[in-house]
Amino acid sequence: MRLPEFAPNRRAHVVRATAGIVLLLGYGDLLRGGTTVAPVLLAIGYMILLPAAILAWH
Amino acid sequence: MALKTNGAGESHRMRAPSYAISAIVGAGVLSLYLTTLAPTTAMWDASEYITAAFTLGIPHPPGNPLFVLLGRVASLFPVGSVAVRVNALAAICSAISASIWFLVAERVLIAWSPLRWTRIAAAVTAAVLGATTFTVWNQSVVNEKVYTVSLAFFAVVSWLTVLWCDDPDGRYADKLLVLIAYLIGLGYSNHPAGFLVAPAVAVAVIARRPRTLLRGRLLLAGLLALVFGLTPFAVEPIRAAWHPALNEGEPTGCTEHIGFSCTFSQTTRTRLMANINRDQYGKPDLMLRQAPIGAQFGMWWLYFKWQWLRDGHRSQSGLQLVLALVFFGLGIIGGATHWRYERASFWFFGPLVVTVTIALVYYMNFKYGASQDPGLGGVAREVRDRDYFYLWSYSTWSVWAALGLAALWRVLAKGAAEGEPRRWLTSSPILLLGLVPLAGNWRDASRANETATREWAHDLLNSVEPYAVLITLGDNDTFPLWYAQEVEGVRRDVTVAVTSLLNTDWYPRGLKRRSIAAYDAVHGPAVYRGYAASAPTTPVFAIDDAQLDAIPEYVEVRTPQIFQQGTLRAVVNPQLLEYGVPTRGDLMVLQLLKDNLGRRPVYIARTSGQYVQALGLEPYSLVQGLASEVMPTVVASSADTILVEGIGHLDLPRTRALWDAYGAPAAIIRRGDWVDRPSVGIPTLYAATALLLGEVLANRGEVSEADRIRRKALDIAEASRTTDLFVRR
Repeated sequence: MRLPEFAPNRRAHVVRATAGIVLLLGYGDLLRGGTTVAPVLLAIGYMILLPAAILAWH
Repeated sequence: MALKTNGAGESHRMRAPSYAISAIVGAGVLSLYLTTLAPTTAMWDASEYITAAFTLGIPHPPGNPLFVLLGRVASLFPVGSVAVRVNALAAICSAISASIWFLVAERVLIAWSPLRWTRIAAAVTAAVLGATTFTVWNQSVVNEKVYTVSLAFFAVVSWLTVLWCDDPDGRYADKLLVLIAYLIGLGYSNHPAGFLVAPAVAVAVIARRPRTLLRGRLLLAGLLALVFGLTPFAVEPIRAAWHPALNEGEPTGCTEHIGFSCTFSQTTRTRLMANINRDQYGKPDLMLRQAPIGAQFGMWWLYFKWQWLRDGHRSQSGLQLVLALVFFGLGIIGGATHWRYERASFWFFGPLVVTVTIALVYYMNFKYGASQDPGLGGVAREVRDRDYFYLWSYSTWSVWAALGLAALWRVLAKGAAEGEPRRWLTSSPILLLGLVPLAGNWRDASRANETATREWAHDLLNSVEPYAVLITLGDNDTFPLWYAQEVEGVRRDVTVAVTSLLNTDWYPRGLKRRSIAAYDAVHGPAVYRGYAASAPTTPVFAIDDAQLDAIPEYVEVRTPQIFQQGTLRAVVNPQLLEYGVPTRGDLMVLQLLKDNLGRRPVYIARTSGQYVQALGLEPYSLVQGLASEVMPTVVASSADTILVEGIGHLDLPRTRALWDAYGAPAAIIRRGDWVDRPSVGIPTLYAATALLLGEVLANRGEVSEADRIRRKALDIAEASRTTDLFVRR
């Protein structure tokens, strides 16, 4: 069955993509002067999603 | 490599870490911190960091962008005041560290402690000991610095490295190394101290799997991860271009609005790198020691003694010394036992302790400590005690001290093996030694009733008339005011100008740019009710940016000089100035006088020592509460304007009205102590003001009122332990 081999890769891609999108949105909001959503997104991106992306690396 | 086993034949791979118990330990420590948490801001940098977090601004170099992001998120939680939320961030970070020190200690103990409950008991001791050492505790109950966030990074990296050391060829080993590299970079974006853990990681890798250094792709991945961890620094130029209320270093080339070309300009790059590299502070070469190396280690030892029993007023010096020697010895025993039984993690933890102790003392190259060797005159001293720089040292030492306790426990329970827990149990009271700092430091480490700094900020701001320019001289008469203005919205009509930062290029520009809020008469002090003043329409500096930038760093003038502005003619005496010559900051103050006298009130905070005299302004200054107003003409004595020798003229009705509205005296008396001696000038100023008022009132025959105010002065002096300053000898 191929799924177990495929799944970790897919999970890694999803986590990486999510981390990237969240950071981009965070910096985007920061550029337009945001002081509420931007820090929340950047904190989540840097503190949770990026470490998760590294650990999910296949 | 064969794994060592403990007496029960267990190896560390056989035992899953007690994550649930570590979480409970962390929750317990967090409860302690929340119980003793500061309800508002505090002296030194607490106000600056709370303000930076709340405004998503930029604190002093290097700017700490990761902390600002985390602090801003913390400030958004709808529980308590903004200050409490940011203070709680420090508490949470230290509680996380404590729970991880539990895991590290438990992991080390597996190698030589046979019973699980004994490991857990000793590991809990490590967590409690680390959490209650004075500096860790005191810094965890108010967000005075960013070091508790750094401590959490230290602890997380420590645990990941210990896991890697356990299984350097395992399935997750490479991921762990890449994650560690990322966290070291991310930790640096909180504070450069984040890199302090790197040498220990390097030693562990070399000791455990030296061939890792030959794996190019892994090294590249680690390097990329580390660099990515540094990217929060990108927040600085973006936020700086929006010119937030706190924009230290102003790391942007954008003068008005954010834009592509000004953000990606050489000016932005230069200013950002100056911020990151802390150029503003100009630390001397390490070869030029600022104090003898022995004295620098003496400073570390002084603060080490504080950790187990703070003894803020040196009333138990003997006991403090004994405890320090005991915990120092326990740390040595713990380190030696660690080396003997659990070499794998020692290769990380040992170098970590050495880095944050010996190497850090050498690298920081401090002058004499503010409280060090008080009898030693004529030596250069730090303006305050720097024990917080060794927070990581004392925290990690605590882990070893707890391991030392565990080793002694083992000796006492000698001969015990699994199935014979009684001897372990009967000898377990030795672990109670781990509770000594909890008991010994509670009074001095707790900040539960500390509200004086917030009140002080309100009092000083309210001492000046609407739309005033208030010149201050240091951290403690400036940062709390920033907090009051930007976080609590108090007296935003006042322009605070601190002389130390007027020496920079960016601060005067920021002052010029700052918009003046309308005076809020409803919430302002009663003394200004009905006060007719309109908001100024011109910037605080009348000259343009180029002219501001052209003001020199200092002028080589050492003889008295005349400063004239309208009817004001002052004789500036450079010899009374801090550096013996007028610096850029002093010239900026004169420029402020030139541009504002007669247009808006100008005050100098009375925390400034002889600054009024140094600028030759004494004939023009009128004491009003905690500040002196600089008048355009020589102040004449009258029934309400009384000349006091050595002080100048006192505005009696104004000072009396302000005194009755001040909130700090009650807060100081309620707290009943002032542990931080370098900032004791604040309560002293209150007591001196009250005594001055009392004397003037007594001379006018208002004896009962004079006695009432003098009694308050004595209460303040007793609460802050400064009575000896006022008692006639």
